[in-house]
Amino acid sequence: MPQFTMRNTVDRLDKPSSYAMSKYKKRRRNDEYNDNNRPASPDLEEKLADATTLYVGNLSFYTTEEQIHALFSKAGEIKRLVMGLDRFHKTPCGFCFVEYYTHQDALDCLKYVGGTKLDERIIRCDLDEGFSEGRQYGRGKSGGQVRDEYREEFDPGRGGYGRKFREGDDGYGDEYGAQ
Amino acid sequence: MADYYNGNDRRGGYNKRKRFREDDDEQDRNDRGDHGDRRGDRGGRGGYRNQRQRPDVPPGTKIRRGLLEIAEDPLRLPQDVAANIAKLAADNYDDDFVKDTLVTVVLRLTIEQPLKIPFVAAVVLYANAEKSQTAQDVINRAVQQLHEFLQAGKWREVKLVLRLLACLSPLYEEDGIVPILDDLFGRAVDLQTASTDDAVGIELVKIILLTIPYLLASSTDPSLHQKAAELLEKTDIVASTPHVLESLVDPYLTMNENSEKPMACQSVISLLQRQLQGEASNGWPLKCIPRVYDPNREQQDADLEAHIESNGGGEAKTFTKIAFPTVTIPSPVNPGTRVLFPEVYFSLYADQEIESVPPTSNVASSLLRDAIIDTVNILDFNRNVTARFLNEIDCFWAPDTFVKRATAFDKLRDMPHDRPTWKPEDVTIDAVFSQIFQLPTPEHKLVYYHSLITESCKISPQAIAPSLGRAIRFLFRSVDCMDLELANRFMDWFGHHLSNFEFRWKWTEWIPEVALPELSPRKAFIRGVLDKEIQLSFAKRVRDTLPQEYHFMIPASKENEVPEFKFNDQLTPFSAEGIQVLAMLKKKAPEEEIQKILDVVHEKGAAQGISDPLVASTDIYMTAICSIGSKSLSHVLSTIDRCKDRLLAVGSKSELARRQIISSVVDFWADHPGTAVNIIDKLLNYTIVTPMSVIGWALQDHLENGRALASSQIYDLIAITMFKVTNRVRQVLRERNNLTLQFSQRQQIDEALPLERQGMRDLFTAIENAVSSVANGTANDMNEQLDSDSADNALIVPWGVRWARVWKRKAAVEEAVVGEAAVGPLEESSAVEEQMVAGDEVEDMDQVV
Repeated sequence: MPQFTMRNTVDRLDKPSSYAMSKYKKRRRNDEYNDNNRPASPDLEEKLADATTLYVGNLSFYTTEEQIHALFSKAGEIKRLVMGLDRFHKTPCGFCFVEYYTHQDALDCLKYVGGTKLDERIIRCDLDEGFSEGRQYGRGKSGGQVRDEYREEFDPGRGGYGRKFREGDDGYGDEYGAQ
Repeated sequence: MADYYNGNDRRGGYNKRKRFREDDDEQDRNDRGDHGDRRGDRGGRGGYRNQRQRPDVPPGTKIRRGLLEIAEDPLRLPQDVAANIAKLAADNYDDDFVKDTLVTVVLRLTIEQPLKIPFVAAVVLYANAEKSQTAQDVINRAVQQLHEFLQAGKWREVKLVLRLLACLSPLYEEDGIVPILDDLFGRAVDLQTASTDDAVGIELVKIILLTIPYLLASSTDPSLHQKAAELLEKTDIVASTPHVLESLVDPYLTMNENSEKPMACQSVISLLQRQLQGEASNGWPLKCIPRVYDPNREQQDADLEAHIESNGGGEAKTFTKIAFPTVTIPSPVNPGTRVLFPEVYFSLYADQEIESVPPTSNVASSLLRDAIIDTVNILDFNRNVTARFLNEIDCFWAPDTFVKRATAFDKLRDMPHDRPTWKPEDVTIDAVFSQIFQLPTPEHKLVYYHSLITESCKISPQAIAPSLGRAIRFLFRSVDCMDLELANRFMDWFGHHLSNFEFRWKWTEWIPEVALPELSPRKAFIRGVLDKEIQLSFAKRVRDTLPQEYHFMIPASKENEVPEFKFNDQLTPFSAEGIQVLAMLKKKAPEEEIQKILDVVHEKGAAQGISDPLVASTDIYMTAICSIGSKSLSHVLSTIDRCKDRLLAVGSKSELARRQIISSVVDFWADHPGTAVNIIDKLLNYTIVTPMSVIGWALQDHLENGRALASSQIYDLIAITMFKVTNRVRQVLRERNNLTLQFSQRQQIDEALPLERQGMRDLFTAIENAVSSVANGTANDMNEQLDSDSADNALIVPWGVRWARVWKRKAAVEEAVVGEAAVGPLEESSAVEEQMVAGDEVEDMDQVV
């Protein structure tokens, strides 16, 4: 007999974002492609079932820990806050990890704080597997976050134009290699 | 015309909502034509919003979508939508998937989107006429779920399923749900007789009272009037007896005999009782409840069917009655997971000159409020959808319950007398604020309600902002006699809200209040809000949003993100030693070397006759830590972590030194009071400072004859400290009742519980003692002459009264959760099993600070 199941009548905001899901799926596909012997990594939702950490994005470079604390502690006591830093300059580069004591607080934060404004910018929150050393650094070519390399709009809170964009077209399409 | 029927091509490249709405509009006009309303079923275009309807959408999916979106589109008659879904379900009912979908979605909607219950019920009633098995299946599942919710003590779900069953009353052969209400009342009486501070019995009576209107609105059975009257007669005693804690959950205080409260907030059930008695004496008009099911529609429908649909065979439909299954209510009932407290009806707009929301004499006030706050509290997992429902609230009630959306408040005055004047925005904003102002705590963390208001503003700023403006002004005017915890919630919300909207507020209208004395509640409120704003932003930004008159409250020193190290000033005692300690801590010198310098301080201090030289050295040490850590919270935390041994040792040696740690932090961060509170919060986690030392520091050492009570920083500090303590005791209780642990282990925890509880009680007592001295005007030091102007005294005493009330309530709430009577003896047997589930889910007190 065909079973009809329904968890909720409307979507839940306390799930990993579609970005996290697609990134994860891509990684899994790549894993399969590269190494068939590796055991399949567990389902993302399962992996995040007890997550207490959130990735927070779209912060201004000027937003301080205190400001983040003031907002995020509204969802529960914060255990640890790790600022995202430019790999070379060790200055804030617009993201951070917020760790709570409980999974429930992390979910509440996702539901109630994600998508609201901090320092007058809409911030993005995503459940995260947990911070590990090294992840506090931007992975972009020039040290910051990748998205800030190519951004074409001027964003005064995130260092103006994207670095690549500022440099003109040089570098654009680099992934295809030189002639 | 043909275009409309083959409209898919028109939609091609467009995917915009607006486009659809226009289409729907045209379609709707068309629908109201002679037979257009049947078209939705025939594939083509069903008019489901945002959905491209293709003929190949399976019926189960169509039914699911149709049910989920029911009543949301104001341009489609809910009767038609309901009848269409019903017919589709009945026609395909041999498909198990269809059957499953119908029953599941109906029940799921009932407990998740209560606003839609009357509409969903109408689908079932229409479906019954088509095929009685559909209704039978829904009722069976509903009753089965009702049993489950009763067993689990999930009272909101019980209420909502009962509401669905009440709306299905035309289906029942006999009494239907009336016997259930009778039984519930019996249980309520049992509970009330067993204990005078019972709140579960009150909840049961509330459920009964909230079911009656839906029952009477959906039924044409005249005998129900008599039955309702009998029930109301019985509930009267319970409903009109005030609960012992009721006075502590009133949002306003009576400050003196001739002051009037902004609103006399009556208990929710006493209000309901009187409203229903009023309805009864008027023959139960119940005007706001939508009557979606129209039994006469059947006949027209059948005629139409026979006329236009040859394969329908024109068979006459019969409305089959169903025997209502027996429902047994467990005795004694399971009290449920949430500790209940009496509720009062809070409103920002009710019973004022212009009737922008239903008056408290009208049952609509209770029915609307109940359905809206249930929606809000159930759907906390998607505030965007919830905000949309609130924005569309008029769709879910009888036509003409409200004025048109976004009608200006001033226009209400000009409404003709037979027209409604209730503003949908006011009704919904009122309901959300009732949660922020719910004592002791709302269901969810306060920040949820903040962000729900933010989303509502985003959806329709021009409609919501003016309502919000009137709300803010009303609350600001009421701040003097507002419960202090609520005044702080208001402050916290307001600061947070403004931070989402470029800090825009008409500050000019409060300029007169800026000149008030610092101890006036309104001035204290303004200061508190500005501090909260700065915490979320920065001083210069906030100052730029304010008129000149406010600027003195944000001095330039607040722009200084890194405070001065006071020992750099040579006039500061022990300046040289301070500079040395800072330098050593910076280069991470071994503690022995630092000790040498501190010893110098001790010797000098002793020579100068300082009673506790440890205080001076601790000031140096802690101030140096703050200075090193001034760059960010992480910096100060890692420094504290590095220095924690000395700090712990100092504190255990001298209580004065321990309190000096707090002083040093607060003084260092004088311009950033929030940062100081955060650091002390962490020091509590390290047990470097103790809860009692925080209370002693704030409410004895630094009470300043009561002036400290006007500081939002001091309130936050005490609130954060006590939250930690009460949360810990609750955690211990949870572990004690955790059946996954060994019984012996649980016994150990059980033995530790009284100690933890006593520690908590001692803290509450300490707070109450300190603030009650302010409240009864005895906090003045004997040595301070009474020449301190009496105007100040008149302002200080109310702060004491308001503080005392908050902590008296909080103490009472904790007793209700972790007190001996609430906890009961430790049980090994499975009787605890239910309790364990309960313990697991007991709401963690929401972070209120």
